[in-house]
Order: sequence, then C-alpha cells, then structure tokens
Amino acid sequence: MTFNLKQTQQQIKNAASQVGEPADFIARRLKAVELYSRLPMPTMQEFSYDGWSLLPSDDQFKLATLEPSAAAINAAQQNDKTDVSLHSFASDQQIIDEQVPAGVRCESLHQAMVEHPEVVAKYFMSVISANQDRLTAYHQAALNSGCVIEVGAGITVEQPLEIHQVQDATNPHQPLVNHLLVVAHPHSVVHVVQHLSSVGTVANLANLMVEVVAEPGSEVHFAVLDETDANITTYLNRRAHLAEDANVEWAVGMMNAGNVLGDIDAELIGEGSKADSKLIAVTGGHQHVGLNNRVTNRGPHSTGLINQRGVVLDSSELIFNGIGQIVHGAHGSNAEQQNRLLMMSPAARGDANPILLIDENDVNAGHAASVGQVDAQQLYYLLSRGVPEHQAKRMVIRGFLSAVLTALPNRQLEEQMITLLERKLLNE
Amino acid sequence: MSKLEIKDLHVTVTDEEDKQQQEILHGVNLVMNTGEIHAIMGPNGTGKSTLSQTIMGNPSYHVTSGDILLNGKSILGLPVDERARAGLFLAMQYPAAIQGVTNAEFLRAAMNARRPKDDQLSVMDFIKELEKNLNLLDMSDEMTERYLNEGFSGGEKKRNEILQLLMIKPTFAILDEIDSGLDIDALKVVARGVNSMRGDNFGSLIITHYQRLLNYIVPDVVHVMMGGKVVATGGPDLAKRLEKEGYAGLRDELGLKIELTDEN
Repeated sequence: MTFNLKQTQQQIKNAASQVGEPADFIARRLKAVELYSRLPMPTMQEFSYDGWSLLPSDDQFKLATLEPSAAAINAAQQNDKTDVSLHSFASDQQIIDEQVPAGVRCESLHQAMVEHPEVVAKYFMSVISANQDRLTAYHQAALNSGCVIEVGAGITVEQPLEIHQVQDATNPHQPLVNHLLVVAHPHSVVHVVQHLSSVGTVANLANLMVEVVAEPGSEVHFAVLDETDANITTYLNRRAHLAEDANVEWAVGMMNAGNVLGDIDAELIGEGSKADSKLIAVTGGHQHVGLNNRVTNRGPHSTGLINQRGVVLDSSELIFNGIGQIVHGAHGSNAEQQNRLLMMSPAARGDANPILLIDENDVNAGHAASVGQVDAQQLYYLLSRGVPEHQAKRMVIRGFLSAVLTALPNRQLEEQMITLLERKLLNE
Repeated sequence: MSKLEIKDLHVTVTDEEDKQQQEILHGVNLVMNTGEIHAIMGPNGTGKSTLSQTIMGNPSYHVTSGDILLNGKSILGLPVDERARAGLFLAMQYPAAIQGVTNAEFLRAAMNARRPKDDQLSVMDFIKELEKNLNLLDMSDEMTERYLNEGFSGGEKKRNEILQLLMIKPTFAILDEIDSGLDIDALKVVARGVNSMRGDNFGSLIITHYQRLLNYIVPDVVHVMMGGKVVATGGPDLAKRLEKEGYAGLRDELGLKIELTDEN
C-alpha cells in the first residue's frame, strides 16, 4: 500500500480535534504529514538501521489515541515516589502528583497547548526542526504524549523533577511519540530526570524527543534512565540550545533492550556557554544501538565536553559517534571528547568514532577513543580479595561507567541506574 | 595449624619486548606455618615480587615446574579468587584503583564472599568491625566512603591494604613491599596492624628491601633471595647482618655467581 497523504491528514485532524487540540497545533501536524511524505530518512555514519520499524507501515500512520492499559497505569503509579511524576497518553493526559516546586510549571503538552499556547508556539520544535528528516516530521505529525517544564527566571530547583514515561506495548500499533520540552529562563537552575520504561511484549516503536532551551546564565542537568524492553524500537533525538553562559549537562543511561537510533546534541550558541554530555550504554542479546553525541561550538569561549562509555555484551552492536564541531568565529573554545567501549564477548561488535570538525584556529580540541577488554589489573585486584569473578567483573564495569554514574543528581538515582546495570549484566 | 609450602618452584614471565619466556624463579623452596612471620629480603630484580604474585595466581606468571601447596594440597589449578577464599592474601605494591566502587562496598563483598549465602554479614557487625580497625590504623571514616584507592596517596593505599587484611582475616598474608614509600609514623601504624593479626591462626610472608620494617614486625624466620632462589635462611639476626654488610657480602661469602641488578 502506498502512503495516502490526504487520508492520513484526515485521520490526524479528526483524532486531534476529538481530544480538543487548538487549530494551529493541528495545522502544524498536517504540515508535518506533508513533510513526512517527501523527506528522506536520516543517515548515521558507521551505522545501518536497514529493516528497522522506526516508522509505522503506511496504512498504520495515525495519531494513536488508545486508552492506556491498566498494566501501564499501574507501572507508572508504582514509580510515583518522586516530586513530579507524569504519565500522559493522548486521550488521558494527567499529572498524577502535582507537588511542583514554586516558580516551576510542569504541564502535559496537551495542557500546555490549551492553556499556554504562546509557550508552545514559541518553543515547541524550536530546537529540533520538523523538516530535518522523515523521523522528525513523523514526530510532529503523530505526537501522542509529552510534557513541558518551564522554570522561571532566577529560580533554583534543588530536587530533581522526575518524569516517568511508561510505554504501553500490550497491543500492536501503540507507538509512543513523546516530547519533553524544558525551558529554563535566565539564571534558573533545574535538574530533570526522564525515566523510560515499557509494559507489554508486542513490537512497537518509540519516537522520543527532548528539547532544552537554556536561556542566558541558566543551568539544566538532564538525566535519562532508559529501561524499555527488547520489543521497543527507538528513535531518539535530544537537543539543547544554549544561550550565553548557559550550562547544560546530559547524563544519559541507555539500559534498554531494544534497537536504538539516537542523536544527542548540544548547540553552544551563546558566548561562554558550556555543555557536558555524558552517556553510558549497555547492549546485549541481538541488540543494535547507534548513537551520535554531538556538541557544536558556535559561540566564542564555549566549552563542549563529550564522555561516552559503552559495554557490549553477547552478539550486540554498539556504535558511538562523538561529533565535536567548532564553527568559524567560535574563538577561544574548547572541545574535548572521550568515547570508550568495553567488549565483553567475541561475538559483540562495537566502534567508537571521534569526529572533529574544526573551522577555527584559536581553539583547544582533543579526543580519545578506545575499544577494549575489562581492565586486567583491576579484575586481578578484586579477585585477589576473594570476590567471585562474575561479581568482580561487574565491579570493574561499574568503575568503567562511573564517570556518568557519579554525574547523576542523587545517590538514589545512581542506585537505580546500578540496579538496571546489574540486571543487564546478570547473564554475563 | 595451616601450612604453606613452595616446592622447587620455577616461574617464567613473558618479556614485553621480545615476547620470549624468561625464567625468573629457578627453584624456590620455602615452608611456613601459621603462627609464624617470615621475611624475604633480597636485592632488586631477584624475583621476590614474582614469588608473591605466583602464589596469588597472577595470570602473567607461569609455573613451569614445582608446586605450591596449601595444607598439603596443590593450589596451582585454582583461580585467583578461589586461592583468596582458601585463605591467601596479597597486599600489593601497586593496588589498582576503581572509581565508582566504594571502599566499604568492596570490603563487604570480599568478606561476604567467604561466607555462605544464608549467613551474610550484617551491616551492624560490619560497621563495628570496620570502626575497630579504622581506629587501630588511625584512618578516618571518610576513607571507607571514598572510591576504592581512587586518588589515595601512596601512604593511604598501603594503609588501605592493611585495613583489608584486618577485615578479611586471611590465613596467610603476603605483604609485598608494604614499607615502600612510607614515612616512619605510617610504618609504625602498618606494623601495628600486622602485629595485631599475629597468633596461632595467622602466618605472614613479608617482602622487603630494608631491615627497618623488621624492627617493628619482628620475624621468626628470615629468607634471603638472590638470582631467583632462596640462598639463605636464618633468624632476625640475618636481616641485621644484611643491613650492615649488604647483599654482595653475603653473596661472596656463599660463593654465588650472581650479578646484582643495582651493582656497578
């Protein structure tokens, strides 16, 4: 079956109207369907995702507004121990716990487009453009959940805001097309934790975006714990725009079990802005994960750091592309990156590719990459104290990943991540 | 009583440059029992560290002939962690650092590895034992929440090795140059720790260049290694004599044709 533009637009228009979306947001969706029909898929260096279901089949392209299953709601509520916990589905978007700190607004995307349309109009898809490629167009067209966090100027939020997103995969054709928008107004400080999981074993896709708008002098710490199951095929795109003296830290933990095509990006636009992009990934089974981690220095005296660590088990594949770009005019800038992989099985495939694109002379740039085995010295030391080999290996792996683990905003989260990590390493 | 026996041990290592096997130990014999402290002295490059690493089972060292017996049973076929759980401990000259794993967590893992699954150490018992040993070694509580050896000074690393010794309570502890890089105060602290372990159920093999450490941990038996062999065995007096006369003197007296690494 070929893609039917008019019919798809009609379905989306009807579904969006039914849940009460404003007309201009529906118009954006319809425009995106048209973009989808003519834009190409993105390409990733050193990585192929041929044959993946990153998009629905032509006849299944629709705005999915199924009610969440009881299992999904239950899973979301079980994780409801944090300040802000939100689960949102197109037809049932609600904030479970509304203890939002003063000076912070946290709304479902649906709520935001109805109650604060000016915020959505100004910031939504301002960092990532829908007409970038077919996947971003699909995102805007078929978006079915999301949330907007806005932090007022000068507000400091100490406690991390945790958003737990449960993908309901109990039925076929339940894509999770989710958008998280963080707007940090000047000189605000905020910690956000996005926790992704899934229920159900039916193959489904996830198309996830995070946009961070870091206004002058603001500070955004964004952590991700991803533990979705093997049946979920994920496209993710997380990007930050940094104004002058803004500071953004990514601390991403990819502990999921399905295939992933991912882009993490920080655009250092303002002078003196700084991004620190940390990521860990553990792949196992027959999983394939390809990640671009990009920092672009545009403003002078900006600093871009990338630190990626991966552990590759079984017959999985993990590709890290660290892309450090310094554009002409970004004088006095810094770009440093490290991409390291630990290969735990002879059948595993991994690659760490540092890519430096530098168009300015007055800069500091460096990179380090390695693909290797468990550190023999560390392992020997632990064994010599009687720690059994499987446990000793896990400790060494944890040490290898600690640069990111220790960047998580609190010990509780660090322990959560370690638990996920231990679970993934259990078969090792 | 437990017994550790080294029998005519020949050990090779792979030379990093030419990838050739090179024999370091040429037939070492040594017997020690619990209740005894032995010291091994010897010049640089004579195989002292090779001996200690081989006893522990470091995979870089290959036993070509001879045997290592613990209570009459060969341990050559045992992997490193099993040797440790069988009662061996090696305080290392260059302990590895592991970020992300706290000292306390590591200690508990090591202690629990020796206990049955249904009788793991309680947090209270662990803390009590830890406090006692930290006090003995003049170490602060904060050391245990730091990552394992990460950013530790040379002296802190050595103390941490002794802390592990006190917590794990092995049957035989090999201390490989535990005195190197320690000032006199730290040396006394380390000696206090080791001496507190002395008793019928503990034996130790102390490897050192210098006699100084042996003023604080008085050995029952002193062995001298040269050229990959034990060439002399005696009481504490032997160490004092070496301090006075040097290794060359003993070598000449024994009529050995061995070139000492640091000799001109």
